[in-house]
This record gives sequence, structure tokens and C-alpha cells, in this order.
Amino acid sequence: MKHQDTYVGVVLLALCAIVYWLTTGFPEVPAMLSQNVPPTFFPRLIISLVAILSVALIFNGLGKSREIRARIKPAVLITASIIVLAGVLVGLLGTLLTLGLIAIALPVAWGERRWRPLGILAMGLPAAIYLIFSAALGIRFPPGLLLDWLL
Amino acid sequence: MGLPGLEYALPVFTDPLVIGLIILGTVAGVVVGALPGLSSSMAIALLLPFSLYLDPVPAISLLAALYCAGTYGGSITAILINAPGAPPAAATAFDGYPMAVKGEAGRALGIAAIASSSGGIFSVIVLLFAAPFLARIAYSFGPPEYFALAIFGLSMLASISAEAPVKNLIGGCLGLLIATVGVDLTTGVERFTFGVPELSDGIHFIPVLIGLFAVTELLSQAQKLGQEKFGVRLSAVKLPSLDDLRRVKSTILRSSVIGTFIGVLPAEGATMAAMIGYNEAKRWSDEPEAFGKGAIEGVAGPEAANNAATGGAMVPTLALGIPGSATAAVILGGLQVHGLRPGPYLFDEQPGLLYGIFFAMLLANCLFLFVGLAGAKIFSRISLVPPTLLWPTVFALCFVGAYGLEQSVIDVWVMMLAGLLGFVLKRHGFAPAPIIMGLVLGGLVESSLAQSMIIFDQQWTGFLGRPIALVFLGLASISVLWAPTRAAIGRLLPRNRRTA
Repeated sequence: MKHQDTYVGVVLLALCAIVYWLTTGFPEVPAMLSQNVPPTFFPRLIISLVAILSVALIFNGLGKSREIRARIKPAVLITASIIVLAGVLVGLLGTLLTLGLIAIALPVAWGERRWRPLGILAMGLPAAIYLIFSAALGIRFPPGLLLDWLL
Repeated sequence: MGLPGLEYALPVFTDPLVIGLIILGTVAGVVVGALPGLSSSMAIALLLPFSLYLDPVPAISLLAALYCAGTYGGSITAILINAPGAPPAAATAFDGYPMAVKGEAGRALGIAAIASSSGGIFSVIVLLFAAPFLARIAYSFGPPEYFALAIFGLSMLASISAEAPVKNLIGGCLGLLIATVGVDLTTGVERFTFGVPELSDGIHFIPVLIGLFAVTELLSQAQKLGQEKFGVRLSAVKLPSLDDLRRVKSTILRSSVIGTFIGVLPAEGATMAAMIGYNEAKRWSDEPEAFGKGAIEGVAGPEAANNAATGGAMVPTLALGIPGSATAAVILGGLQVHGLRPGPYLFDEQPGLLYGIFFAMLLANCLFLFVGLAGAKIFSRISLVPPTLLWPTVFALCFVGAYGLEQSVIDVWVMMLAGLLGFVLKRHGFAPAPIIMGLVLGGLVESSLAQSMIIFDQQWTGFLGRPIALVFLGLASISVLWAPTRAAIGRLLPRNRRTA
């Protein structure tokens, strides 16, 4: 088995190819307007550098044996799912309700079973955020479809 | 010779808001530094969107105070539970924890506070003299010199971590690439926006850095769940004796000089300064065998160096606009979001702001000595906050911080995606700091390169006629090639010995 760096280098090379291809879709600009520095110039320069460094990474990995790493724990995947879910829920339930739910879901997913601190966090966190950021600093959080529908 | 810019100190020291925010930043910095997993970079990233509600002087003073105090705060848990609150405190644990095990936790914390404060004050005094001097030199810089300087700064990423120079450089390039998203300022062409109107203005770096620092760490903490922490109970804070101070004074001075110098180098930060400070303390010690078993020089050396690096890191950040460390990159971003472009002209345009920042750092370095010593017992309990309750709060702050900037849900998604990507990258050995450096410097690198190419009529050889740019590009080449050359020599030498 090759070292992980070899595979990372290959993935990066593939990404470089994709991003380079994306730059081919940039509109053409007359040389006079761009002063001979087209919008593709800098991104392509960086992509080329990443590609060269990726090749170096591949060769670096070839000389090493595979590194043993701890498996990703289920808690990480659950946490990542909760993070993504928060992004989805905010449009439906609004920020404060979503953060209240996260304040329960995340600790429970991490094994917290003391319900009193959980309850305090679930109620206190959105309340504190509302008071500090909404009432004091004037940040207007999205109310969410639910609140829109209820009101 | 008096301190320069003293006339600007008065408004800082007499403004109750600034003083209050410096105290807040200092206490928050010590608390954040003391919490394993939370770093001053992360805290500054989280505070940055809210600092926009303040004027630049109080806002940046708050962030600078947090930076200084956060670096010290990491030593508390390094000493008490052998878990550095922040990476720069890793070396402090080598001797700080053995001291705590021997019942000398208070002595170790006291030495750490005094060494940190001394290192920090030393570096701010250097900053006061060096930054205006460097800025005067930078007046003669044109786009080619700025491009070369930024490249030198990015090339130093190769030496941040000896194990992953290539990955650090790739990270820096990824940051530069992310910075190209949005409308190209020269031609007005949209790049990598995929038809999303919110991306036309580019990807704001604040959600990215909140994601890379905080959300990535949240996921890393999930991976560490269930790991037991063994700590030492701090019953009383017994301060270091005068004899202790006499013993460590030369170590503190040496480490302060080392830390300031390392901090001034672009991209090199407090962690490297602390490691070198520790090694030098051991090398110069009369009892090197005592290191690792609870030598007070082993605490003073890294602590003076890592806090000295904070002032040092602000020298290129403020004088040239090239960050001296990851946290300085975040502060540089803070200045940018306040509509300021750090560099030589800022010294003419906003001297009050710059000297305000310098004196805020000076005050913070004095303050955390008292806050650290008086509150060591309380701060030591901070590490007992259950991660199951701490991290949801951090996530809520990430969420609000990313959203609050432009009040846009897109920024929240950018923050989340940056965090998820950051975790995957971290697992494969890519640190977040190089990406942030690339992202913050992206605009400067692209614009100065474009201007240089226009000046040179598309001829790269034009750089050959600019000696200062050539020096920076030469240094950049050395810093990139240094690690592979050293590794190649290392591989060859044993073989030669075998054949001999």
C-alpha cells in the first residue's frame, strides 16, 4: 500500500485539471482592456504551482510506507451531519430555534446525558445570542419559514 | 531615548472603552488560551465580525490584547493537565507539568506569567522602534517589491512545519486560489462564481477562517472524545521566589530576543519560537539533564519566546502588510475589514491607530501578568468545562459570527464547508494557517503581480532589474528549497558513511 500522500497528490492533480478547465470558461477580454494580464493569468499560475507541488507530494509519498491513522469515529460523522443539518434547518426554523436544537443535539451526540445542563444550554444559548447580537448589536437573524408561517 | 509615539498613548490609556476592551480581551485571551482546543486565532476569528461594530482603535486593541493574553493562557493547561491550551504552549508542558506533579504548579504558573509578560513587553518595545523603521524602508517599494515580499512571506510557509513543507505551500496556494473567486478587478470578469450572485464580491475570508479554525477543531474534538485527561489540583498559587527570578532572567532575555526575531519572520509564529526558546534554554543551562523533569528554565524559555513572537509578528504585519503569524494574519484581516490597508502609508495616515495598537499590546502584556497570577486558580478550573457543553457554544458563535458579517446565510454555508474541508485536510496533514495566509495575501499578490507585469511589459525578466525584489525572491527560493535540500543531504550522509 502506498502512503496516503500519493493518493492526496493524485486527487489534487485531478482537482487542478478540473479548476484549469473551469478557467477555460472565463469570458475572453480584449488585450487592451486586460492590459495583457487576462483574468485567467493568475488562477492558472497558481493551478500550475499546485500541480507541480502535487507531483512533489506524490513522489514524496512513494518513498514512504503507509501511515497508520485512527479511524474516523462515528461522533465525527454525526457532528458533521449536525453541522450540515443546522445550515438546512436555519431556513425552516430560523436561527434561534435551530441553535437551541443544536445545543441539545450536539451534546447528546457526544454522550452528554445530564438533562439539567442540557436544558439550560438549549434555552440559555439562543436567549443570550438574541440579547447580545440581535437586541444589542442589531443583527437581524433569518426568522425561518415556520415563524413566517405562524406570523 | 523615549518610546516613539508616546503622544498617541494618552488617548488609549484615558479612553474607558479602550481600557475596558483591553481588560476584556486580556481576560478572554487567558480563558481561551486555557481551554484546550480553543486558540487565540480561533477566538479572534470569532470576534472579528463583531469588532466591526466598534471603531478601529478599540476593535483592534481588543483583538491585539486577546492575541497577547491567549498565547500566555495556553501555558495554564500545559502546566496543570499536560494539555497545552494552544500549540505555542506545547514546549511549556515539557517541564511545566513535571513541576506541577512535584507540587510546584503555582511556581510554574508564576514563572510562565512573568516570562510571558517580560517576553511580550520586550517584543512590543522592539515593535515600537522596528515597525516605523521598516515602514520607512517600505516607502520605496513598488508593486514588484510587494509581490516579491508577499512571495517571500508565503514561501516561509514551507518552514512552518518541518514535516510538511510541500503541504504548507499547497495550502498557501489553495488560499491564493480561493482569493481569486469573484470579479477580477482588472477586467471585471467573474471567476469561479458559478452564477451565484453573492460570490461576485468574492469569498469573504472571515467565514473561511472561522470554519478552518473553529469548525475544524470542533470535528477534531469529536474525534478525541473519550480521551481521559489527567490533571493536577491547584490548591494554592505559591509565587516564584526572587532566587527563581534571578535564575531565569538570562533565559527570559535570550528567549525574548529569539522570540521577537522569529516572530518578525513572515509566517513564523509563536510555536516555532517556543520550541527554539526551549532548546536554547536547555543548551545554555548548567543542568541540561534537569530539563524534562521540572526545570524552571524549561518553562521560562518557551513562555518568554512565544509571547515575544506576538510583538515580533506584528512588525511585518503593520509595517508591510505581510502577516508574521497565522493570528497576525487574522488581525491583518481585521484591519482590512475596517477599511485599512496595513503598510507604510498607514504610519502617515493613521499614526494614532498604529500606536494605539502598540500601546494596547503593551498594556495587555502588563495586565495578564496580574490577571494570570491572581486568577491562576480560577483559570485552572476552566479546563474542567465539559467539552459537551463548551463546543455547542463555540459552534453557535461560529454560526452567528459567519452570519453577522454580511447577514447572509451563504457565509454560514461557506463557514461550514470550510470547516468540513479543513477537517479532511487536517487529517491529511494540511494545517489551516497556510490557507489563511494565502487567502489574506491573495489580493495583494495578484494585484501586485498584475501591476508588475504591466510595468515590465509582460517580461518576467523585469524582476532582474529590481534589486530589492530580487533579494526577496532569492530568500523565497532558499526557504522553499531549504527543507528538501536538507532532507536530501540527510539521506545521502548515512549512505556515504556506510560506503566509507
